[in-house]
Amino acid sequence: MDLHASIAGKEILRGVNLVINEGEVHAIMGPNGAGKSTLSAVLTGHPAYEVTGGEVWLRGKNLLEMPAEQRAREGVFLSFQYPVEIPGVSMTNFMRTAVNEKRQYEGKEPLSARDFLRLMKQKRAMLEMGDKLQNRSVNEGFSGGEKKKNEIFQMAMLEPCLAILDETDSGLDIDALRIVADGVNRLKTPENASIVITHYQRLLDYIVPDYVHVLADGRIVKTGDKTLALELEERGYEGL
Amino acid sequence: MRVSKGDIFERVYVNEPGLDLHIEQEEGSQVRIVVVNLPSSGTSDTSPTRNAITVEQLGKGCLTELYGLAYLRGKDHVETETHVFHRVGGGESKQLFKFVLADQAEGAFYGELQIAKDAQQTRTEQVNRNLLLSREAQMRTRPQLEIYADDVQASHGATTGQLDESALFYMQQRGISREVAYRMLVAAFLKDVLEKVPDDDQRERLMDTIDRVVE
Repeated sequence: MDLHASIAGKEILRGVNLVINEGEVHAIMGPNGAGKSTLSAVLTGHPAYEVTGGEVWLRGKNLLEMPAEQRAREGVFLSFQYPVEIPGVSMTNFMRTAVNEKRQYEGKEPLSARDFLRLMKQKRAMLEMGDKLQNRSVNEGFSGGEKKKNEIFQMAMLEPCLAILDETDSGLDIDALRIVADGVNRLKTPENASIVITHYQRLLDYIVPDYVHVLADGRIVKTGDKTLALELEERGYEGL
Repeated sequence: MRVSKGDIFERVYVNEPGLDLHIEQEEGSQVRIVVVNLPSSGTSDTSPTRNAITVEQLGKGCLTELYGLAYLRGKDHVETETHVFHRVGGGESKQLFKFVLADQAEGAFYGELQIAKDAQQTRTEQVNRNLLLSREAQMRTRPQLEIYADDVQASHGATTGQLDESALFYMQQRGISREVAYRMLVAAFLKDVLEKVPDDDQRERLMDTIDRVVE
């Protein structure tokens, strides 16, 4: 795909090539400023980033031609590094709108209020999460751990084919990290794939990747299996 | 108009042309007013709309609540002014006014509030929040507090901002179209004022109207 992208005229990605197959987990590691978050922003269609070259294909469809919401409906999901607080919009209303917009895009009938609540309940049970967040405004006043759990809950509701987890481990203590990682593992199927963007090896103890890529200076400079992450932990990015 | 001792006066005014209220409150009475300005379909009347509310608390222990919401678009122009006079102590007033302005709409809020020298232990709160949806929309806001008593609680705040782009993107990333996200955020912004409309049916109708007019 040879992806190039820039923000405010500054080139951040300088030719990223990546092939992700169904059922695979790819970790992307790299030092600060390598372009990790830019990659997730570009894949999801963030308006602040301009793609200056390259292509992205998802199941035979040209992703870069779609607006952000269409990419989401095609199954691209981003677990945000900093989930946004939306005062006045309840979790239930937010999630129901999202689920039904996706269903409409797929030519399905919207879920009734009852079926929707049942689905919420089922996903919460699957992730072993309580129901105390659902009547609150989206992410408003949530702790760091609650916000990340809520991202995984949304992922469970939307069943993406490609989930991008952007620094999901940042700001989590070890218990919250385990809950979040368990959730991600439970959502894994042979038909979906994920990209785990992380700074540290720690998360990869819980979400075991098939491939580890090192992103530096806007390019993937090294690819290996999970042992590469351990190597990086020991020797640092300088050691490459 | 006079609200007698212990009485409650509660009213919602929707698109009332030239609203001009003068209310005097007797001891222990309550006034709760919601002023709504929404674009009504089919009219192309662009003359400014003015809402003026004056309330005087003449007796002890009165409560005055004034709320307003306006969604303005095109060349709509709405000015709201409130004048609240606390003549005697122990009273309370609450004000919350919100404007959403699209296109080249213009809005103004002037809030005059006076606490007389002897009106000790008065509590007042005046908030004006505005959302600009376009670069050409304009909002003027001028709180004017005159406090002559020394033992009072008086707070006020005025902010004018834009729709949160990061919230819009977050919603789009979940598959919600930009248009629907826009509507949800505007409705969320106006929600706390809408909740002051006591009648369920009327509140529902107003919510529907807002959904319809937000683009």
